[in-house]
Amino acid sequence: MINVIYILVQIMVIILVAPLVNGIINKVKAFTQKRKGAPLLQMYFDLYKLLKKNAVVSEVSSWIFKATPYIVFSTALAVALLVPVTTLIVPTGFPGDIIMLVYVLALGRFFMTLAGLDTGSTFGGMGSSREVMISALLEPSLLVAVFTVGLVSKSTSVYKMMEAMKNADVPLAQPVLIMVFFAILIIIIAETSRIPVDDPATHLELTMVHEAMILEYSGRHLALMELGAAIKQLVFITLLVNVFIPLDQYIGMTGISAVIISLLVYLVKVILVSILIAVAEVSTVKFRLFSVPNLAAFSFILSFLGFLQYSVFGR
Amino acid sequence: MGIFSAITLFQASLVLYLVAALAALVFIKRHKLSNIVSNGLCILASLFGLISSLMHILSGEEKIVLGTFKSAIPYVTLNITIDKLSAFFVLILSILVLSVSVYSIGYVSHYYGKRNVGLLNFLYSTFILSMIFVMTAGNTVFFFIVWEAMSLISYFLVVFESEKEENQRAGTLYIIMTHVGTAFLLIAFMIMFSYTKSFDMFGSSAMIPIFAKNIMFILFLIGFGTKAGVIPLHIWLPYAHPAASSNISALMSGIMIKTAIYGMIRFMLVYLNIQQTWWGILILVIGATSAVLGVAYALMEHNIKRLLAFHSIENIGIILIGLGVSFIAFAQKNEPLGALALTASLFHSFNHTLFKGGLFLGAGSIQYSTHTMDIEELGGLIKKMPITALLMLSFSLAISAIVPFNGFVSEWLTYQSLFINIQPNQAGVNIASILAVAALGLAGALAVACFVKLFGISFLGTPRSNHASQAKEVPSTMNIGMGILAMFCLAAGLFPMIFIKVIDNVVMSMGTQSIMGNLQGGFLIAYYPLSVSGNSISPIGILTLIISVIFGLLVIIRIIGGKYVERKYGTWDCGFETLNSRMQYSATGFSKPLRIVLRILYRPGREIKLEEGVSPYFPNSIRYKVSTEPIFEKYLYVPILNITQKFSQKVKFSVQTGNVHTYLLYIFLAVLALMLYNRLA
Repeated sequence: MINVIYILVQIMVIILVAPLVNGIINKVKAFTQKRKGAPLLQMYFDLYKLLKKNAVVSEVSSWIFKATPYIVFSTALAVALLVPVTTLIVPTGFPGDIIMLVYVLALGRFFMTLAGLDTGSTFGGMGSSREVMISALLEPSLLVAVFTVGLVSKSTSVYKMMEAMKNADVPLAQPVLIMVFFAILIIIIAETSRIPVDDPATHLELTMVHEAMILEYSGRHLALMELGAAIKQLVFITLLVNVFIPLDQYIGMTGISAVIISLLVYLVKVILVSILIAVAEVSTVKFRLFSVPNLAAFSFILSFLGFLQYSVFGR
Repeated sequence: MGIFSAITLFQASLVLYLVAALAALVFIKRHKLSNIVSNGLCILASLFGLISSLMHILSGEEKIVLGTFKSAIPYVTLNITIDKLSAFFVLILSILVLSVSVYSIGYVSHYYGKRNVGLLNFLYSTFILSMIFVMTAGNTVFFFIVWEAMSLISYFLVVFESEKEENQRAGTLYIIMTHVGTAFLLIAFMIMFSYTKSFDMFGSSAMIPIFAKNIMFILFLIGFGTKAGVIPLHIWLPYAHPAASSNISALMSGIMIKTAIYGMIRFMLVYLNIQQTWWGILILVIGATSAVLGVAYALMEHNIKRLLAFHSIENIGIILIGLGVSFIAFAQKNEPLGALALTASLFHSFNHTLFKGGLFLGAGSIQYSTHTMDIEELGGLIKKMPITALLMLSFSLAISAIVPFNGFVSEWLTYQSLFINIQPNQAGVNIASILAVAALGLAGALAVACFVKLFGISFLGTPRSNHASQAKEVPSTMNIGMGILAMFCLAAGLFPMIFIKVIDNVVMSMGTQSIMGNLQGGFLIAYYPLSVSGNSISPIGILTLIISVIFGLLVIIRIIGGKYVERKYGTWDCGFETLNSRMQYSATGFSKPLRIVLRILYRPGREIKLEEGVSPYFPNSIRYKVSTEPIFEKYLYVPILNITQKFSQKVKFSVQTGNVHTYLLYIFLAVLALMLYNRLA
């Protein structure tokens, strides 16, 4: 019974917070540009409206096109259940393995890139082609980074990582974790289609990656794709904040109030990281597509150096 | 020893393969009859083989010795010995043969009246038989004979469509490379005999000194590595595997290269039984290199079968990563890790047989109905061949190691063994391991790119040629054959414990402890069926979760958004209304970003030919050709070839002068030298 409640809390938090992150990032961007910007909750209104609209489907496409939004959304949500929003909540019976997390997200990506090719449109193919390139370049860095965190916390399970980090004094004071933190931050920016790798606000064929893949989608399909992407973004942010900045150990209470406070703490951390991402986004310009390998190499070197640091000095 | 004992069933399966081969020859004039009878017998034989090998693995018996034949030559006996390792490889062979034989009933029908179907089926059955003998040979002489037989029969199968020049070239390259490899094996066997005075593969290697073991290790590595197609000994593989007809390619890629893995485990791990740490590191590095370069080259290929052949190199690399870790662990007497890594390696061998066999069969189906292997000419096949498309999609997901298929589970086990392998105070091993992790991750992501390209360009979108637009679904036997493999892929992904239990018996028989204590979890349906020292995964849990989320979504969206209304409309064409199939992304275009990023590896060249029309801006025709440079051929093999040729030229002029007197002098000197040697020694 308690498990079911945990799962429901986790799903509710993830689904409710995910669009908010986009709202915060857009608000900060608007603020730096001296605009008023869209309301914080704009994405919720968009999603609601999209759900009520009819869907236009290309004549060329096959069942893959229509199945993809459901697969993308459900893989993102399934992965979200593997990453607890607070250590006080264990959402599913199995402690999620971080390697599995990477490969479940790959299922969503596989179908999303296929859907890009399914309509026979040049835009879709272009998006898919770039997406597989970017993800291929980031994969080694991501795996070395999570392995290094795994070595520090002696486990590849997300929950156990969080537990181990909670018991460490101040995780971010360890040099290895500082390097891995920034390596993962770069990966998050790239994986969530943000500047400098991709621009979520553009519809120019020179620059778009994620938007090109979902160009043919409309109505409820589009809503699912958008929310799925937002959830994926939140999963990465949750992973980052809960592994590297665990503040749960400072909550000296037990029971329901502790859960509520830890959720509030979680929310504050997510908002802070969202602002960090927004600042990163406004303070750089979009890179040329073929400069992305440099960024990926930078991230890889950070995580590899982190690994070396840990295996030589042990901290 | 009842009639249903493992040994009688195994003998029955051998006899049935032999009968299948003979039946194909007896009915050589009647193509259809020969095909159905021969493949039918092979199906029966493979079922017997499957049951008998499974029975043997699960039984308490260590090994069965079958039919020892002593010859007049001293030391030379021919015998068949089946231990659990042999039985495991016979098991995966039988599963593959079962489905390939079902598939062949339909597939070979396009050869009726055009080619010698009887000969094809004869070679097919004897090829299987030779592989079974390789896996069950009891001494090195017999092993060597059947190894050679396997190479020769597969050569005949490679050049089966012999009028094509490329097939002849592929065959020649194949037979040269495979014999180079065999030569190294021969030297290793001779060293083995010179120390132990025995050809027994199951004997002890205690008498061999350590330096000789090191030499033998290198020899075995080159010898079996050539057959496995590890980089840089891989150059024959991408030509030979596509040249054969698709059912044969499935066998070659699915199981023939696994005989090399079998050989490595049999001779390097079990026989030599020492395992210095550097052996493992060497295997790990070779494996990681093969994994990354194999998939990187696959990405540039647009011939489906050659692309798949390169993926075999990648997967052999992944298998070797697992094997390398197990070598390191056994050398450091870390038995639980050694057993785990060996399990990962064997499980990936099993999985690769399933999905690679299936993918080659799928390529055969595409060829059967479109008569082309060029991805650039396909497109939109998902509507013409829905079942083939679904099966190909499953195999593509499996080979890309995506949940919930089997490839993921074995790669996860490999990751876990690498994770456990990283321990304090061993810098070399640690750095090799973390780089192997990075290589495995890169290979996995590039495999996704490659199979999105393969499936997306050939099955989705609109047809790019007449070949593709006139495609039809293939006969049901072909789909059933592929379906069997797809079922196994899904089952091994969702219920890995059943398969790992079988493999555990094999690994335990090699004198290590069971990994079942380390690798715990429920048997069928549990929260975490697979768990390695506290880290656990549950593919079936995730699948259940995904499916329930989808159902929940459907309900919620129905409540919020109302009834689903869909409007069919053309793809967005920017208002020009002239979108045609040539405007779609091509496979070349799809892989272009990665071609540019990895240009240091590919060294791409391009050639644009414009035929000018009224104005340079409106050319009449454009030819665009992009090529990549085969660096191993160019910088490794061609120089070796040149040196050899120069040397032969020199020998021709200075030693082999053609002068009889000189030759008489050589003979005299040789006799003198021998006499002196005898006198002194």
